Amino acid sequence: MTLLLSLDANGPRISGEAEEVTRARPVPANDGHGDVRKKIVPIVRPPAGPSQAEWEGGPWLTLQQWIDAPVAGAGLLLQPADDPQSLAGRLDGVGIVGVDFPRIGDGRGYSHAFILRQRLGYQGPLRAIGAVTADQVFALEQVGFDSFALRADQSAEPAIAALSTYSVPYLTAFRDRDAAVFDAKVRLLEKALIAVGQRHDRPALATSLSAEDMVITDVIARLRLPIDVFTLDTGRLHAETLALIEQVEQRYGIAIVRARPDSEAVDAYVAAFGVDGFYDGLEQRKACCGARKVAPLNVALAGRDAWVTGQRRDQAATRVSLMEAEHDAARDMQKYNPLADWSWADVLAYAAWFDFPMSPLYARGYVSIGCEPCTKAIRQGEDPRAGRWWWESQDGKECGLHTNPTTTRQ
Amino acid sequence: MYRYDAVDRLIVEERVAQYRDQTQRYLAGLIDEDAFKPLRLQNGLYIQRYAPMLRIAIPYGVLSSAQLRTLASISRRYDRGYGHFTTRQNIQFNWVKVEEVPDILAELAAINMHAIQTSGSCVRNVTTDAFAGVAADEVVDPRPYCELMRQWSTLHPEFAHLPRKFKVAFNGAKEDRAATPVHDLAFDLYRDAEGEVRLIVKVGGGQGRTPRLASVIKRDLHWSELLTYSEAVLRAYNRIGRRDNIYKARIKILVETLGAEAFAREVEADWAHLRNGPNTLTPQALTRVAAHFDDPTLDAALENTHRLPIAAGFRAWRQRNVVAHRNPDYAAVVVSLKRESVAPGDATADEMDQLADLAERYSFGEIRVTHQQNLVLPNVARARLQDLWAELEAQNLGRANIGLASDIICCPGGDFCSLANAKSIPLSAAIAAQLASIEDEIGALAIKVSGCINACAHHHVGHIGVLGVEKAGEDWYQVLLGGRADGEGKLGVLIGKAVRAEDVPLLIERLARHYLAVRRSGESFIEVVERLGADAFKAALRVEEEAAA
Repeated sequence: MTLLLSLDANGPRISGEAEEVTRARPVPANDGHGDVRKKIVPIVRPPAGPSQAEWEGGPWLTLQQWIDAPVAGAGLLLQPADDPQSLAGRLDGVGIVGVDFPRIGDGRGYSHAFILRQRLGYQGPLRAIGAVTADQVFALEQVGFDSFALRADQSAEPAIAALSTYSVPYLTAFRDRDAAVFDAKVRLLEKALIAVGQRHDRPALATSLSAEDMVITDVIARLRLPIDVFTLDTGRLHAETLALIEQVEQRYGIAIVRARPDSEAVDAYVAAFGVDGFYDGLEQRKACCGARKVAPLNVALAGRDAWVTGQRRDQAATRVSLMEAEHDAARDMQKYNPLADWSWADVLAYAAWFDFPMSPLYARGYVSIGCEPCTKAIRQGEDPRAGRWWWESQDGKECGLHTNPTTTRQ
Repeated sequence: MYRYDAVDRLIVEERVAQYRDQTQRYLAGLIDEDAFKPLRLQNGLYIQRYAPMLRIAIPYGVLSSAQLRTLASISRRYDRGYGHFTTRQNIQFNWVKVEEVPDILAELAAINMHAIQTSGSCVRNVTTDAFAGVAADEVVDPRPYCELMRQWSTLHPEFAHLPRKFKVAFNGAKEDRAATPVHDLAFDLYRDAEGEVRLIVKVGGGQGRTPRLASVIKRDLHWSELLTYSEAVLRAYNRIGRRDNIYKARIKILVETLGAEAFAREVEADWAHLRNGPNTLTPQALTRVAAHFDDPTLDAALENTHRLPIAAGFRAWRQRNVVAHRNPDYAAVVVSLKRESVAPGDATADEMDQLADLAERYSFGEIRVTHQQNLVLPNVARARLQDLWAELEAQNLGRANIGLASDIICCPGGDFCSLANAKSIPLSAAIAAQLASIEDEIGALAIKVSGCINACAHHHVGHIGVLGVEKAGEDWYQVLLGGRADGEGKLGVLIGKAVRAEDVPLLIERLARHYLAVRRSGESFIEVVERLGADAFKAALRVEEEAAA
């Protein structure tokens, strides 16, 4: 008795008796001499008969038997050499259509399924029987089979797992590429963050509560990944940002650690340059970023082995060759930028799809979220970084969090 | 260079995970040998004479410097420090370990490469002109069409268990450099009177023990129906191609048995349901794919700074190895992988690294792989050719023999392949040595040496083809004359009984010397063979043999 794997609205389901699962004999470790000089056998013997005599509802009828005398509710079993097009207009009342695969390499049954589903409009049950293994079920499902009578030596788990081999269905990938590309980006992001969680002991996301960082936070929370989330509470953030931190914590049930600047360093800065001294020159601005952002970041990252950012390549001229994984030489740890190839439109699409809270600053024309005095809204068509330190020259506008790391690709 | 989109990336990553799991189950004895075979084959893994062989796809022959460097590093870590470039724009590693293949595939996935469907009974790696996008004689750039075909045929659920392998090629230039007449399905791209891209569709070409040239079954297919029509061809083949005898399972046998016209009717009947359907290509799809090819912006002409007299070696190399570019200030440079005492098509890891560097400095970081098993730097400023030549020359990569007698196409043969009847690499070396002193005088001459009837080196379409056969455990060879892979294609004819390995080089030299004796001004070897017929050469051979006896 073989296992029967069926698909319905609730996903895959196993029925049939499993007591006689015969495992394939273990093969000796392959030392490279497997089929040395094995000659091609030219003649393929035809199968002696159908792989199965009956299904759970009774005996299988052959194509000819069905055409000669259709019985309502009966099972019709197609052989590879049958022409399913001869069933045009004759499928009413059939209980189930089976397609026999006498051996793995005989792919005619896949075309039978295509013709039944796409050309004849058959919507009833469609079962693959015969040489059906775990490694066949994904493609079988893609061409329209909804149940699989597994070969006697097959067990259930690999077959069920194989049904989710590929995240994007073949036809979606081909016919609706734009939608498929977005789905694939989300899946790749999930896979990248899962890998970060597995590979590192204490990885963390540094969030500015920007939409990009919200995308990553959403994945971390949704998949419950072991990646800490912290934010740099510089003391000069917008009130909207501070409110959003609490909102995010409530919504996802996660804690966002506030990394705050050292008060002595801030006092020293204010004493030297004044509280808004950063407007007076690059050196003063960098000193402020140093005290309020860079130093707290280094504290937050101390003892960690990896950090994650929401940087994207098309955010700034300084980020065009951003890698998805790089070595942060200054801090001697891995740095991941899993949104490197995301566009702003991708971020918005994700926000709409997963409906996460967006900073209200975006609605007011902000495209980059930073400290309140150093960030402003931009006009349409302006460079996205034009809203940061607008009194400085156009190139190299970074706060120092993202120094040029050694870009060794992982 | 084609840049993967997120779907491409995800598919190859998930493919690696799938194959890793399958390999683990195989090694644990949970998948038997027969069931594992199609799985490993469709991931490029053969079991060869001495070790497993991994064949990696280089879609339409395009590589970046970064990709070539990774191939070099893979060959060092997992193989023996070299790779073999094939006639169908793949690279093969001959000494991999079954259990390490998933790791190799993971490294490939990270650089937008894979080994999916490089063997097995499925749609294989799509090939085209190695000079696509740069050739001066190009009518339509075939690469976006190749890429659409690649996307559509990769993991197509209906066509993964065809009766036999299925090879697709595209040609968009005046000269066919993709051997389309010997492909299962091939397309010639052209522009109609309105400037629309259309395709001539050919099916049923192939070599092996039953060599056949492809038949034209449609002359004016609009490009938007490329995939709907291909689907109809594949469905007809999948449904009615022979499966009882693997020697008769290629589509060429089906097309021959039915006749090309009857086969075309089968295809048209299915296509009637598909045309204008959801797989019809849109201009947006073509634009999207074309936008993923990052072609370099060529600088304005550079001034040639060479004041010194031109070296003689450079002059010969420039004549033989430099190909016209669509931009007259640029050229495509062929790097010969046919060197003395190196197996044709082989490159060491160090050479791959050197070529990756040269490509970065001279050709915008791009390399192409040709059907003739050579490499191409496609975008080299003419003003810098001599500099490039000097560097290639210093690294044993500057041999000026493209298209000459020593530019031999050769399969791995009995040294590596478990199917081979005879060795092909040592014989190729002997032929090249025999003709070395007269190869410049001979000019264009395509010699192709296969170790068995499977014809991996395309001996049927060589101007001179050599086929290894086995006689009582010894290596013997048949020699064919007059084949060609360009134009409509032509199959070579046998010029006599099989001879021993040591007799082949002299026999070929006699054919070449006869050509030199009877040629008219400007006539090439193949033109003389076509003018006089193979019998005239056979007669000349008999005279020589009697004189020698």
